[in-house]
Amino acid sequence: MVQVRKLKDGSRQIILAADQFDRITKILSELAAKTKASTILLADISGQLITQRGNTEDINTAILSALAASDFAATAEMAKLVGEDAKFKLLFHEGEKRNVYLSNVGENFFLVVVFDVSVTLGLVRIYTKKAIQNLLEVLDTGDAEDESSKLIDDDFSSMLGDMLDESFK
Amino acid sequence: MFINWALQEINLKIVYYGPGMSGKTTNLEYIHSKLDPSLTGELVTLKTKEDRTIFFDFMQIEVGRIKGKKPKFNLYTVPGQVYYASSRKIILNGVDGIVFVADSQKDRMEGNIETLLDLEKNLKSMGSSLESFPWVIQFNKRDLPNIESVEYLQKKLNFFDVPHFEGVAIKGLGVFDTLKSVINLVVQSVQRQL
Repeated sequence: MVQVRKLKDGSRQIILAADQFDRITKILSELAAKTKASTILLADISGQLITQRGNTEDINTAILSALAASDFAATAEMAKLVGEDAKFKLLFHEGEKRNVYLSNVGENFFLVVVFDVSVTLGLVRIYTKKAIQNLLEVLDTGDAEDESSKLIDDDFSSMLGDMLDESFK
Repeated sequence: MFINWALQEINLKIVYYGPGMSGKTTNLEYIHSKLDPSLTGELVTLKTKEDRTIFFDFMQIEVGRIKGKKPKFNLYTVPGQVYYASSRKIILNGVDGIVFVADSQKDRMEGNIETLLDLEKNLKSMGSSLESFPWVIQFNKRDLPNIESVEYLQKKLNFFDVPHFEGVAIKGLGVFDTLKSVINLVVQSVQRQL
């Protein structure tokens, strides 16, 4: 499964295995095809982009996922303030040419679907709902490949240090 | 931290925290202006008309592959003014390392302390604390008159003796040293915990 765990210092770690990445990408590709969405992003609630499909050349998707996460978080606080028990399940922004549909995927992730105004919201909602069900299955199953201890060793740390010295002159 | 095995990417979130007008956005603006464009995306700043951060600033940095892995750093700032406390908490979600940008001016000490306590409160609600979380402190505005000595700032703010840096962010002094330090600290902290 996609590992979401808390480290001892309080920070959160999310590990996505290669096969999950492939399956998630396939689900998003299908969603993009069915909704004719121009861009689809899957991100975690802190704003970290997990993966994307569609036209990602013209849009800075790292920024979009950071903004969308803040959008979710801010409206969740608003919901609390106005006395709602649960946070808003979805957000929809209507534009002149494009609409943006944001939806929670479980507790830790969310989906951003950017689509043309000519596509009806109802259609996007139906297909997104199905995609979310499929995504939740992937996020809950799969090999718990955790070789993160091999990822960051002394070598990596020291080489990173050198690289930072080089880049940040 | 987000590890994507398929793309061999390691993503870290660094948040610049501190009282209003201490120089958090200035740090990011300097970093963005100096880095090779190939290493950094756009800098997004959500500001009021008076140039005060209203929600957050954001930019992403990559430095290239290390042993086949690509580290990416997402830098955020928080709005410093007191009434944006809820927003600061939101931006801290998923944070891996913090830069506390303190204003060295004598009349800003109270603001520094108040914001540091605010940070501690938010870290505690995340199950952490200033004692255990990777963070560094930058004493900014060292070029201004009427500033406290570094010794005094250390005594008042750096009770956990985390790495500290003197800064004049508007001229870039101390900016990259601070960033390098927090990144290295986060990586070492992750290494220890894995």
